[in-house]
Amino acid sequence: MAPNWTERISAFCRSPSGFLSGTNPEAFLSELLRELRDDRASYGVKVLLLSPLCEYAGLLCATGCAGEETALDLMSVFAQCPTRWAQFRCHLLVALTGVLVCSSCASGRSRASLDFLDLLLQIAQDAGDLHGDGAQRCLRATACDCLREMEASCPGLLSQRLELLAGLRQQESCRLHQAYVGLQVLVLRNAVYQLTQEAGAGAAHLKALLGGNTSAWEAEQEAEQEASQADGGDSAVQSSLVLGPMGRVPSLHTGPDCKELRSVLSSLLEESYLLTPLCQAALFHRLIELVAMVPGIPPSILRAQLLRLLGTNEVCLLHVTLLMKCAFTDSLFSAEDEAFLLKRLVVLSQHPLLSAPDKLFYMDCILHFPENRPIGCGDSDEALPVLLTPQLASALLPTVFNDSATLLARLNLQALVYLEEEGEEEGEEEGRGLAYIYEHLTALLHIVEGGGSRDIVVTFFRAAYLFLSYFHRVEQYSALLSQQLCRLYLLHTQLAPNILNLVQQTLHSLAGCSWAVGLLRGLQGAITEAPLDQLTLPDLSCHLRVLARVAEEAKISQRSSLGFLSAVVTRSSLRASGDWRLGNGVLGVCRRLLLHPSLDSLLIPLADILLHLACNYGDTDIQDHARLYYALLTTVSWEKLSAVLAQSAAEGGGQVKRPTLSGVMAESEGLVHTLSVHRAETAVFQLSEARPQPQPQTGGPPLAQDEGGGALEAYRAQFREAGSAPQITLQYRLTHTEPPHPRFEQLFSIRLHFSLTDQNYEQLQDVSVPCLFTQRPAPVLRLTLTPRQPYPTTIHVSAVFTSSDGLTWHAPVPDIHVSFQHTFLPLPVPPAWSRARREELFQELWEEMCGEASGCAVSLFCCQLGGAALKALLQEHFLPFLLSHPSQEDGFWVLLFLPPRSHLLLKISCEEDAVQFNMATDNWQLLPHINAYLLRITCAQDLPVT
Amino acid sequence: MCLNILCLPNRRFCTVEHRAKSLAGSSYVAVPEDSSFLQLLLTELGLSGSHKSYVAARDDCLYRPRSPAVELRLDGKGTLWPVLALSQAPLILACLPLVDIPSEPRPPLANLLSVSQGLTFLAGLQTFLLGSAGNLDSEGLVSRMATLPSLLLQVCPLGTLLDTPQAVTPTAPTVPTSAGAQKQPAWKTGLHRGRATVNVAVVETVRSMQYGSPTRQDLWDVYGTVTCKCEVEGVLPNVTVTLSLPHNGSPLQDILVHPCVTSLDSSILTASSVDNADGSAFSGPYKFPFSPPLEPFRLCSYTSQVPVPPILGSYQLKEEENNLRLSVSLKLHESVKNSFEYCAAHLPFFNRNQMGVVDVKVSSGQLDVSKEKNLLVWVLGQKFPKSHEVTLDGKITFSGSSQGPSDPLCTGLTAYIKLYLKVPDTTLSGCFVDQHSVQVYSSAKPRIITSRELLSKEYYIWNSTGPAPVSSGQMMI
Repeated sequence: MAPNWTERISAFCRSPSGFLSGTNPEAFLSELLRELRDDRASYGVKVLLLSPLCEYAGLLCATGCAGEETALDLMSVFAQCPTRWAQFRCHLLVALTGVLVCSSCASGRSRASLDFLDLLLQIAQDAGDLHGDGAQRCLRATACDCLREMEASCPGLLSQRLELLAGLRQQESCRLHQAYVGLQVLVLRNAVYQLTQEAGAGAAHLKALLGGNTSAWEAEQEAEQEASQADGGDSAVQSSLVLGPMGRVPSLHTGPDCKELRSVLSSLLEESYLLTPLCQAALFHRLIELVAMVPGIPPSILRAQLLRLLGTNEVCLLHVTLLMKCAFTDSLFSAEDEAFLLKRLVVLSQHPLLSAPDKLFYMDCILHFPENRPIGCGDSDEALPVLLTPQLASALLPTVFNDSATLLARLNLQALVYLEEEGEEEGEEEGRGLAYIYEHLTALLHIVEGGGSRDIVVTFFRAAYLFLSYFHRVEQYSALLSQQLCRLYLLHTQLAPNILNLVQQTLHSLAGCSWAVGLLRGLQGAITEAPLDQLTLPDLSCHLRVLARVAEEAKISQRSSLGFLSAVVTRSSLRASGDWRLGNGVLGVCRRLLLHPSLDSLLIPLADILLHLACNYGDTDIQDHARLYYALLTTVSWEKLSAVLAQSAAEGGGQVKRPTLSGVMAESEGLVHTLSVHRAETAVFQLSEARPQPQPQTGGPPLAQDEGGGALEAYRAQFREAGSAPQITLQYRLTHTEPPHPRFEQLFSIRLHFSLTDQNYEQLQDVSVPCLFTQRPAPVLRLTLTPRQPYPTTIHVSAVFTSSDGLTWHAPVPDIHVSFQHTFLPLPVPPAWSRARREELFQELWEEMCGEASGCAVSLFCCQLGGAALKALLQEHFLPFLLSHPSQEDGFWVLLFLPPRSHLLLKISCEEDAVQFNMATDNWQLLPHINAYLLRITCAQDLPVT
Repeated sequence: MCLNILCLPNRRFCTVEHRAKSLAGSSYVAVPEDSSFLQLLLTELGLSGSHKSYVAARDDCLYRPRSPAVELRLDGKGTLWPVLALSQAPLILACLPLVDIPSEPRPPLANLLSVSQGLTFLAGLQTFLLGSAGNLDSEGLVSRMATLPSLLLQVCPLGTLLDTPQAVTPTAPTVPTSAGAQKQPAWKTGLHRGRATVNVAVVETVRSMQYGSPTRQDLWDVYGTVTCKCEVEGVLPNVTVTLSLPHNGSPLQDILVHPCVTSLDSSILTASSVDNADGSAFSGPYKFPFSPPLEPFRLCSYTSQVPVPPILGSYQLKEEENNLRLSVSLKLHESVKNSFEYCAAHLPFFNRNQMGVVDVKVSSGQLDVSKEKNLLVWVLGQKFPKSHEVTLDGKITFSGSSQGPSDPLCTGLTAYIKLYLKVPDTTLSGCFVDQHSVQVYSSAKPRIITSRELLSKEYYIWNSTGPAPVSSGQMMI
């Protein structure tokens, strides 16, 4: 069997869950490992095989045990791999790191992870490649990175190797020294962090740590580590310690005497220039943390690098400078430095040579500028630095030539600038700034009017929302915006959804702001006053949508809307066309009007419209609905009407609405709602295995009368006449998942659909269950499986059902697993057969299987089991299949029939201190399954006895 | 630190995910599978469902700071943040940096070093895959995509970013160095052997918005880049390049330097375009000592405030009964060298029918008419006439039967001329690199080549009889 690995691996990576539903992680993992060990596979393929382990180690090795075994396997592959396959060896190291870290072996300091660490350190120290090729060097670089990753995931793992690592870094003169720098500084940082957590740690400890002389406090430290792991304290060590003036960094009190650390830091700083910008940034980040933790080291140690960093064009290097400022404020940055840095950020935010994302990032840095003396202490709120004057900020005014993200970010910044000004002085400055922002908004609006793309349309509405959220109180502009939007709407009615979305969001987030209602009123006016003759059908349906929204506002008078509706329905061209959508749109407005508090005053014109629709409209469905509305309007009081029609808005827009009468008659949404099948995201109920009842003989070969003669012959004869294939029956209880959702407490008409994940069984029929209530006993259902091969399998289940509110739902149901022992059936022979005859059959089968017949195999399984334990085991697992008497001392015969026609024969005997399971089968492929099964049951049996 | 590079092939880093889980604790949000990640990202970037004019999830007006880090809303399972995305056709590159500080409440981007690292990395990856020139070479792209897995093994084996992908593979001979010698920089892929050559090119770009209006000030700015290619022996050779300005030249501002520059004088950095210009500002010479990488690199960039734009234009349109009357004049400033590699003015007309009769005369150069595109291209050639001024006059009827190109900005009389020019061996700021000022500290005498050129970009002259879009608020304050 040579599966196409390229395809399989890419299928796995595309969707691991989908892929694993067809097999299971253990099986896939063992396949991968087998193939990796296979000498015939090429190294190109093997690199590919490692990728699931590199990317999804946590999924494939979920338990520590699996991780440990996999790691040992991979290490043996590594040991056997010739050195010339450097790429593959590098990938192996990466995969090993992933496996050990993700299966928590590394944090548990397991055997394999310690071995792996030794291997990595050995590679890292192997400087034999000094004159060698790049391949070996590549392996060394990878080993360093793996060490760094192990340390990052399990802080403190390498803290006792600091001296070694420092030495390695100093020796290295080729490009690799970068890898050693990264490793050393991380280990150092974690080690110092650990010291800060120890009471009474000081200069001496630090010195010992750097000198590699750690035995004095090793034990103590390890105990601490374990304690910290037990309560999941790892995450605190892993968190960044650049916290700013308000944060508290743990500190190590060493006094001024920490020469050793200082010299290490100086040498790292000196070499920082030799690193790539990305590594430099990471190095400085760690150094900032170190200096922050050790007050004995003054931040000025970093000063020599500062000028170089301030002039840089690399975003990550300037960023790390900002982090430095955040950590050390005025102990490293003077007031002039601060002003310079801010100016620099403004320059960078609009620099023509930088990319848009970089500029946006710098703009974000301005909004979170680490000031030396911050006024507020809000960490995540956007606030302008005091030094950012409107004059300075004017370099960042938005223009219509900006891309949309830049435009919005700049608009936001300017709005903050002028909002601040507004509070201080009602001067001219403010007015002009705001005027500019508004002018800009208008410019955008003109582009939208001119037929701008969707991107511009969306940007404009976002800009409008942003403007309103800051300045909706400035009457002068908000009223103007409202007018302009109305004009825009008449020009481009297809913008209705955008405008209604703006209305919704402003209503929702700007409490107490009446702007949105004003806009709706304006739109109503614009629509109803415009001449009707020129309206196209799409325009009209947009208008109706807007009017429907207007009708939801109790504060808006609806007279003009009614006038408009009346004109629409009486217009002959439309009436004759009988367009269903249009009619539906009109009805939508009417339905909301039925709920309007001023309905009394609208009664007559509304009744006229409905009547007109009912009598004259060209679509029967619309006529019917109109007639129903008319009847309701004319016969039911407003209070009752609103009760009948109330769409339970309280349940929220996105939530499921109750299907009241309105659902049946409303314009469409309610109707669609009740008629469609809803999708439940999580399982509502599950199938749990019910205790098997005494196994009845289902299906099976017809029980012919015993005609004497050879037992095997007679037995075989049955099959020749067999009609239906033998089946196995499993029982499941249908129960709610915990905790049951209130909506799903009572379920009706449940239909369960089963889909197979492999070819080993015949398709299953759907199963119906009349109802499922939380308070009643769980219904039991029987699942009859017809095996093609008696192998374990997983079956996907889904369900369609009706909830008590009348909605139909589709929901996933947890998979059901058919295990190997589920396929066991007792020997299908007539009940009249005597024990002796059965034993005879057993004997004949056994002899046949021990022969040369194809597919047959014999095997032996041994385990240590006491006599009592064996009895218990037989009693528990093999009783229905036992041919010999249980009290028999010398041996037991068990015959398992596995449909459709496989047999597994066991002769179980006690030999001194061990129990032997002699097996024979006519289907050798069953052996791994029975082995696993025996292993499991005997292990379980072991415990109570010993 | 960066996790998940998406550009299909996607790369996940399980150890980083593991760390993210332990850092975030209960607020951890797992990364969805590739297909749903992609779908969410496209929606968030506004690239999905292009046939629908409004999709609530995509077009909601609620302002959320989107770029450079977007958030993906996983249905009912929290939000994935910060996803960095860089899109340049045909690629979308995205990565998800590790949040190494408490994620509740959401920290500002500025506090996460991984964000700027991710941006640097993605930009490097983009340059590697697409090249910096901007013209797409799809075969090259495919072959470079194929090298990604092995490249990632070098620059980011376990999710921690070590370097940006480099176009040049380290095939250059790496000379063994004796122990104790100078360490080789990690950004230097090999060593040069042979004659020392230093090539320094100064390229200035001028942008302008001219309105020809008494109420609105014309705008222009200049920015320059200094690109070097140094072939010098040694592990860490020292080179110094000095930029000089002519007497009375206005100081170079906003100087940004390459990380290989070893030290900087603080006076070089002080001048800034957002400051009020200070007459006493440092005006050179600007010394940049550095140790060069092997590949060509941008040593530094600057901006400059020059007193006049190189070409001052005026553009007037008048709508007459059936035609549009044009009147254009362009005047070359006398301080600018009158020797172009090319100089052309494009006059596009939008939102009109196609051109019919074009009756236009030019005083110099030649005119190409593209009726399908509604575009006049006025090729001015290598030189302006002695008067330094050229004009274009005439009228156009838009009598074609079909619609010409449209543009939402240029409606009515809003129209522009866009200038394309390139002048070799000159800069507007006057900035230059003297051959003799380039110092290379090595034994052999190096060959030194310097060059200068001026380019235009976004050089617009707006019709003064129609409304022009505001392009900067500078003059408002």
